[in-house]
Amino acid sequence: MQEFTNEAIEINSLPRYQEVSLNAPHPTYWKVMLINISIFIFLSITALITIIILNEKIKPYGIYLGGGCIIIFAFIFLLYKTSFKKRGYALREKDIIYKSGIIAEKTTIIPLNRIQHVALDEGLFSRIYKLATLQIHTAGDGTGHMHISGIPIEQARTIKEALLKRLDLLETSVN
Amino acid sequence: MMDYDFSKPQRQSISGIVVMAANTLQQIIRALIIPIAIFVIKAQSNLLIYSTVGISVLILVILFFSYLSYRRFTFFLDNIKQEFVINKGIFNRTLLTIQLDKIQQVNINQSLLQKIIGVYSLQIDTPGGDSKEVSIKAIDEKIAYSLKELLLNGQKASQIDVTNENISLTSQTPILKLSSGTLFKIGFTTNYGSSLALLVGFIYAIFHNAKDLLRAFDSDNGQVEAAIKTGVSILSVSIIIAIFLFILLIINIIRTFVKYFDFEISKHKLSLLISSGLFAKKNTLLSPKKVQITTCSQNYFQKKFNIMNLNLKQAHSGEAQTEKDLTKSNLQVPGCNADEKDKLLAIILGKIPKNGALFAPNYRFLNLPILFLTLLPIVIFYVLWFNFQEVKPYYPLSIIYFFVSVLMIYISYKKHRLTVSQDFIIKKSGIWDISHEIIVPHKIQSITTFQYPWHKVADVGHVNLHTAAGVIQFKYGNYTEIKQLVNYWLYQIESGSEEWM
Repeated sequence: MQEFTNEAIEINSLPRYQEVSLNAPHPTYWKVMLINISIFIFLSITALITIIILNEKIKPYGIYLGGGCIIIFAFIFLLYKTSFKKRGYALREKDIIYKSGIIAEKTTIIPLNRIQHVALDEGLFSRIYKLATLQIHTAGDGTGHMHISGIPIEQARTIKEALLKRLDLLETSVN
Repeated sequence: MMDYDFSKPQRQSISGIVVMAANTLQQIIRALIIPIAIFVIKAQSNLLIYSTVGISVLILVILFFSYLSYRRFTFFLDNIKQEFVINKGIFNRTLLTIQLDKIQQVNINQSLLQKIIGVYSLQIDTPGGDSKEVSIKAIDEKIAYSLKELLLNGQKASQIDVTNENISLTSQTPILKLSSGTLFKIGFTTNYGSSLALLVGFIYAIFHNAKDLLRAFDSDNGQVEAAIKTGVSILSVSIIIAIFLFILLIINIIRTFVKYFDFEISKHKLSLLISSGLFAKKNTLLSPKKVQITTCSQNYFQKKFNIMNLNLKQAHSGEAQTEKDLTKSNLQVPGCNADEKDKLLAIILGKIPKNGALFAPNYRFLNLPILFLTLLPIVIFYVLWFNFQEVKPYYPLSIIYFFVSVLMIYISYKKHRLTVSQDFIIKKSGIWDISHEIIVPHKIQSITTFQYPWHKVADVGHVNLHTAAGVIQFKYGNYTEIKQLVNYWLYQIESGSEEWM
């Protein structure tokens, strides 16, 4: 069992995923996120105003409700701003790492030899800023998949090609 | 004995026409049972004659279509491309192609009707998303088993000379065989949940259909509800509960016997053959390397009887999970003792898992469950207690609830353990049924670690190991240790060239 002795020596000198320096999403992606948040806030405000106007009982409390909402919106804005700063991805020789999360700090790692397929998704607003979302799927369940948003389209294409090429390599080496 | 050549398109057994016709008829009757019953009861005699003629015509039509679909249904094995091809459909022609290496299990079943005619049905399961599962409705036993062997063993076995192989099952010496005594023990100790669901469903169906029938006679004046009410007042509730539990136990035992009668596992070349069933014999052949998660579970009673459950989870598609898909890709070994378990594990996993480094969660594991499952309900109860007279007599229940729920949460904390060795990852969990989920590192598809900001100082975090058959979750562990483990697992997955399926 040569592997076993290897493991005993090397466990602390293994490459550490937590120390890899990550590529942040493109700065303009923050604008896309802002647009999305604004749409959400706009819709909720419209809903709130309709309710206040239609319901006589709630009307006197309208100011408090509005104030509460503004605080919540500010909170959402701050959360997204900090989460945006934490986001990042890195492509290593043998796996791909993506860090994200609104409250919890979540790191997902997919070994390249477990990738089932790769998709490139361009949202309506992302396209305006020439950004794309890279979706990486495995045979595992949905929560183990990876959606990396805010990558410049050209770079996303290159990564996708590189991943696909690796997939082909793996396929041919198996057969 | 004839040599089976699957490389040329073949038809099913001719008696398949009857099986297919019976299937269609059964579906129609099942869908229309209530209207038909009402019709028979309400219709005048001359109408009955017409309807008999109508039903005969219907049966003839069904037979004719079954014949057509029999003629149009062909299957063959493409040895060069390593594909199994099925051609079917009367009006819409369908061409199904299944790559042999994607097949994860082949089932050979026999229903009562098929038993009478003397044919089997063969079903192929693939982990593909859309219900691509394919079935051949009527096929001779020997053809079925040789085809099964070819399908499962793909490249290696495609040259098998069937004439010299003993393909009959009976000659194999089983690894595991359940006796009636064991079945009785199993029925006594497990699966209360599903029997309960069945019983409740059954009672509901009786109630519902009784109302439907009465309505058909235009005489539903609430007799059903009245009957239930008088029933309640005559028997005290405790007797009803006792009877209910007794029936539940009986049903549980009967179900176990019907489902697992003559349960046998034997080794069949590269795969495991699992067969069971009292009325309808069910045979499943699976290749051990396609099992993703192996779970052993045992509750207190089972421990006393020295039996445990084994559950073999195979890859399923990520999206759109139905209950049926889930149970289909999971294989249950209802009962085995410690020796048999070790024997099975050795076949499925290659070797028996030994001890490894043990990881326990932080005490913070307890916080959220106690807050939401214990304190919150009790606070709500006491808010009600202050406001309503009616709930006052029930306050002892809240005290019992407090202690029971805290105890259960504490047990779940004590049982939440992760054992890591070089070859295996074992996750232990449970409160009543204690289960050990065993996976092999190279079956991991992706790894997620996460940590809440308020756990940073305490260095506590969580890790999810995603496999093709589900997620293994270890919560509230030491985050530094978790990161180290993740690096180790990544190294194992990425340095090895072992396939996950």
